[in-house]
Amino acid sequence: MQSHSKKRVCYYYDSDIGNYYYGQGHPMKPHRIRMTHNLLLNYGLYRKMEIYRPHKATADEMTKFHSDEYVRFLRSIRPDNMTEYNKQMQRFNVGEDCPVFDGLYEFCQLSAGGSVAAAVKLNKQASEICINWGGGLHHAKKSEASGFCYVNDIVLGILELLKYHQRVLYIDIDVHHGDGVEEAFYTTDRVMTVSFHKYGEYFPGTGDLRDIGAGKGKYYAVNIPLRDGMDDEAYESIFVPIISKVMETFQPAAVVLQCGADSLTGDRLGCFNLTVRGHGKCVEFVKKYNLPFLMVGGGGYTIRNVSRCWTYETSVALAVEIANELPYNDYFEYFGPDFKLHISPSNMTNQNTSEYLEKIKNRLFENLRMLPHAPGVQIQAIPEDAINDESDEEDKVDKDERLPQSDKDKRIVPENEYSDSEDEGEGGRRDNRSYKGQRKRPRLDKDSSNANSSNKTSSETSSEIKDEKEKAEPVDGEETPAANNNSNNSNNANSKSDNDAGTAAASTKGAKENNI
Amino acid sequence: MATNMYRVGDYVYVETTPNSPFLIRRIEELNKNPTGNVEAKVMCFYRRRDLPNPLVQLADKHQLATAEDSPLATKLKKTWLRTPVGEEQAAQAVLDPSIAALDEERTSPAQVSNAGSSAAATGNANSNNNGGSGGGGADAEKSESLTSKQRYQIKHRELFLSRQVESIPATQIRGKCSVTLLNETESLQSYLNKDDTFFYCLVFDPNQKTLLADKGEIRVGSRYQCDIPAKLKDTSTDERKLEELESLVWTPEHTLTDRKIDQFLVVSRSIGTFARALDCSSSVKQPSLHMSAAAASRDITLFHAMNILHKHDYSIEEAMSSLVPSTGPVLCRDEIEDWSASEANLFEEALDKYGKDFNDIRQDFLPWKTLKQIIEYYYMWKTTDRYVQQKRVKAVEAELKLKQVYIPQYNNAKGGATVKAAAGGGGSGGGGGGGGIYNGTTNGGADLSNNGKPCESCGTTKSSQWNPFSSGHMACRLCQCCWDYWKKYGSLKSAHKSDANDGEIKKKVVPTTVASAPTSTTATGTNNTTVVDINDDDKVSDLTNRQLHRCSIVNCGKEFKLKTHLARHYAQAHGIAISSGSPRPIMKTRTAFYLHTNPMTRVARIICRNIVKPKKAARQSAYAINSLLVKQEFTNRINGKSPAEIKKLMLLKPKDRGSVTKIANRLGAPGSGPHEWLVLTPKDKMPQPDVVSFPKPPKAADGSLVYERVPNKTPEVEATKELTIIPAQSTSTLRKRAHEEQQLNGTEVTIVPSGPPAKRPNKDPMPSHCPSPEQFAAMMAASGQPLSRHHLNGKQKIAQMARGGNGRKQVISWMDAPDDVYFRATDIHKKTRKILTAVDLRRAARKPWRNLPIKSLAPEPSSRPNKPEIVILD
Repeated sequence: MQSHSKKRVCYYYDSDIGNYYYGQGHPMKPHRIRMTHNLLLNYGLYRKMEIYRPHKATADEMTKFHSDEYVRFLRSIRPDNMTEYNKQMQRFNVGEDCPVFDGLYEFCQLSAGGSVAAAVKLNKQASEICINWGGGLHHAKKSEASGFCYVNDIVLGILELLKYHQRVLYIDIDVHHGDGVEEAFYTTDRVMTVSFHKYGEYFPGTGDLRDIGAGKGKYYAVNIPLRDGMDDEAYESIFVPIISKVMETFQPAAVVLQCGADSLTGDRLGCFNLTVRGHGKCVEFVKKYNLPFLMVGGGGYTIRNVSRCWTYETSVALAVEIANELPYNDYFEYFGPDFKLHISPSNMTNQNTSEYLEKIKNRLFENLRMLPHAPGVQIQAIPEDAINDESDEEDKVDKDERLPQSDKDKRIVPENEYSDSEDEGEGGRRDNRSYKGQRKRPRLDKDSSNANSSNKTSSETSSEIKDEKEKAEPVDGEETPAANNNSNNSNNANSKSDNDAGTAAASTKGAKENNI
Repeated sequence: MATNMYRVGDYVYVETTPNSPFLIRRIEELNKNPTGNVEAKVMCFYRRRDLPNPLVQLADKHQLATAEDSPLATKLKKTWLRTPVGEEQAAQAVLDPSIAALDEERTSPAQVSNAGSSAAATGNANSNNNGGSGGGGADAEKSESLTSKQRYQIKHRELFLSRQVESIPATQIRGKCSVTLLNETESLQSYLNKDDTFFYCLVFDPNQKTLLADKGEIRVGSRYQCDIPAKLKDTSTDERKLEELESLVWTPEHTLTDRKIDQFLVVSRSIGTFARALDCSSSVKQPSLHMSAAAASRDITLFHAMNILHKHDYSIEEAMSSLVPSTGPVLCRDEIEDWSASEANLFEEALDKYGKDFNDIRQDFLPWKTLKQIIEYYYMWKTTDRYVQQKRVKAVEAELKLKQVYIPQYNNAKGGATVKAAAGGGGSGGGGGGGGIYNGTTNGGADLSNNGKPCESCGTTKSSQWNPFSSGHMACRLCQCCWDYWKKYGSLKSAHKSDANDGEIKKKVVPTTVASAPTSTTATGTNNTTVVDINDDDKVSDLTNRQLHRCSIVNCGKEFKLKTHLARHYAQAHGIAISSGSPRPIMKTRTAFYLHTNPMTRVARIICRNIVKPKKAARQSAYAINSLLVKQEFTNRINGKSPAEIKKLMLLKPKDRGSVTKIANRLGAPGSGPHEWLVLTPKDKMPQPDVVSFPKPPKAADGSLVYERVPNKTPEVEATKELTIIPAQSTSTLRKRAHEEQQLNGTEVTIVPSGPPAKRPNKDPMPSHCPSPEQFAAMMAASGQPLSRHHLNGKQKIAQMARGGNGRKQVISWMDAPDDVYFRATDIHKKTRKILTAVDLRRAARKPWRNLPIKSLAPEPSSRPNKPEIVILD
């Protein structure tokens, strides 16, 4: 249960996968998976995990998500009979981004087979972490190929996990939005999809902050739209709090992490500025929750960096330190001129200001607060670890010299709660307010500021005056973040107190506190 | 310095003309062109003012729609935003119902929010209002937090992304800015509070004149979502067997230590080395033990070793013995090793031909390989030296693609846009140029004095620099601060009192401009509405919106369709420089003219050809035609002619030259037979040289030539000296004469075949002498002539580029290049030339095969050329 303990890691790889070729000039190169594999062997990581050769997923397995027609089409199309399928190719969006290449179906089978086998493995509790770098094709839709993806192995894997896990969390750190997975689970509350991606004039165009799910799945899609130049620090500053909050509120029983490496610096298609270390930190952070953990590949189009990244992340999963010096391997020359594992970021500007990230974060927190607290926790029989691990960690922290980020973040929450108690009085004063209205906090703010600007008679609580201040005379240089923080805190505090006072969530929360 | 370092991906201001606001672009590529200048490929962003009017309205509506975030609005977003609005009215028809619906919707929630209860049903809409107010400001209620000035200014921060890419010289870049997709969590003030920040929401297509929201959607419905399986009871188990889903290849659950595994790997490598030593084909490829060992250390051997170990249950002993079965040691070869040298060559050739189309490569070059083998080989081949070399070539090419570029701070004064107000000297004014430089203290404009006029925008009267702000019919000026604002944001800082109701400016202003323009001549600066208007109509593309531009000078009042015309009128008629906002200069730089020839002139040309001498006149531009004489002669000659005759004269008689195709066909046809002048002289009729400089050595009994041994170079040089070879004087004269020789060839009956570039070795009937470079140098030294540059180092020829039949450039090696011909003219030749008239000479030059009309001077035609002519073929 310890975050740094050695885990049982299963790794899925088929030696054929590197020989599929999307076509001349196509950025997607399955060869990167083989490069990773060779690096793993020569780093000596190979011998530390269970290596599996996955089966080829059958059409039956694929139709668990995909439509029969689409799978049939994939199975029958070949470069030499393409002309007969013109109409269907258009319908299924196969052709340009998703070309027909030799062995297309086999490639899909291997990639899907790996993820499904891995999920089953996790279901059987035969492993704690499963890795399938050949998977992670997150754009594929139910009956449509998209963005180099044909069969959505992630969805198939998650569907498998859902057989044994009440709630599955999907995290996507590809630079592109994980639209295929999000769409597949858009209306369910059993899968929460969290995607960190570049948004704005970028493939696939989805992933707006306002896309939060629909129907029962409302608030179960979390989108973090980012701008060019995300660096390690900024990424961590948004990844850690969001995931912590998601873990806290959603309490998943299993996690799937899509490790698309196109968010690395210098990617052929990407526009972020992450290093291998920064990318790997996400894996490290998620791993700490000690949940059944499926890691899949994804994007990544500067293949030397992709294999660096995935090698490093495998080592993170195994909790093995590996040298920065790359070992000699068949593809050693690819890693010139420095032949090092880690890469340095470029000097590109990060267009995501801390202010922007802060605002995004707060908005998402507000959305997450709308979740019924840990849906169905008490009702369903849940593997114990999901709840226990938190208390466990709390206990461990004091003894541990190293303070895991998760714990640090947890410390912040109590601080809020202390201030909570201060605000509670104020909240009490405002008890006559409608609680429904609380959900639209900014609107309230505006109302008050409207009122304020029109006639200065309104006397509101101190926190709201702060809000107004921020609205009315915001941003002069350095003071802003501080001011923001202030108001954010009070925001949080306010709504928290409201929750406590007014909604059923309070009881859950109370229960949880008792637990701790 | 970082501020002046521009990188790919940066958003920048670009100045194409000094008088219009900056353009906003995003650098997509930086390329160094051959001249060393940096060219930037940029993506265009448009300002509101750059958009046609109807689209701006659409944009406003869109803001509204996103703000409401109602299902209706989202539906609209997808439908009417895509309607092309080229024809405004047609679009309006489409829009009407939706807009009406929107308006309805707008009123209701607005009232609600005004009332302060804000109970709009959607649970998430919280801050939508705030962010959604966008640049639109169309919804008055929701942007109450913004002052009207802010609302006005926020419009200047809104851009429209286009997918249009253009190339600009990097020197036009004037600074950095930042453009971000507006996020609804952001407050618009955050943009206003930071300089050089812009946002965008919509994408503008300048070609089709459409706007669209760049937003994909997550679709909802059974066709898109998956069926969620119910969670199985904890007790039930998956009926599937893991063995069917996966096969174990390696497990860490064994008793071997890391050290043991490493040892085993070394052993397997050594076995591999040994196996290669035994294998005949391997020993050819890897001649050294080192290479065999290296080949045996490739990953395939290691993977195999690991597999073997796993198969034998992690018993090193068993695994080891399985590596050396009775059939001989196991040999694992990957593709790179498996391929023969010729296959590798084939592959490279194929790669060169087809690129990375491995299917074609397999079909046409390596059909015995599978596609997978080829791909695997390709990726390994990339690690080899041969690929590395290719990569270097690529890297050189890539160097032309820059990652960043340093552009020094652009200096305004240098650019000539402004003049320091402190500069005292009167009269120096900048009023002259089209740029219209006004000086704060001196009188710049000719008629319209700007003296003491406050800043058009902020009303200040003090500024370090004043910039002319032209509004078409009236000149205003801006203080530096407002000028900068105008340049960056494309509009004045504050809307004037009269047009504070920003949303309506456009509609209102259009009529007022026309009406008020004539009255504004006094230049009192009262009519400020026009300022905004000018900016707007500057680039409005549809012509229907245009109003006439009237000259504002008293007693003139001319009207012009285009502003540029008006500007030109100002410049020409009134001497006022007005910037037209267009990069085209107002004044034409050069007077263009054309000559109209009337029929009489044409007739005169024909009749008085002898006086006009058109050919001579055409050749000598300075040749003066005596027009008086022509006139006189013309009247004389034309007198007796009837109109019909004159008409006939004027008819142009086309020369019948035959059709071009016919001529071309005839030229190419081999059947026409060799011309006489092309036929080689039979060997026996060849002119015999008087002196054979290098007689052929005697033949031996077997027919082979017997050469004497040349003991030393010096005697040979002396021998050469004795001969009549006179070294050429200088290369340049020699070359020139080589041509003359061709002319003169015509004088002779004999054909000297060395005229046109000849294939030297066999066809040359002349006993020519080819001195070796050393010999030549010696000859030159002996005659006291300087060495010609060509012959230095014994490398006479510079390799030349030529185009072969396949259109590819080929370098002809010096061995294959045609030879130079040196001709030395003798006295006879010179005399001949003098006898010939210039016309004859010229004719001879043009038609070298014609006989020249000289007979007397060629007494012994057959032998003569040989004596004086020395054709040096090197």
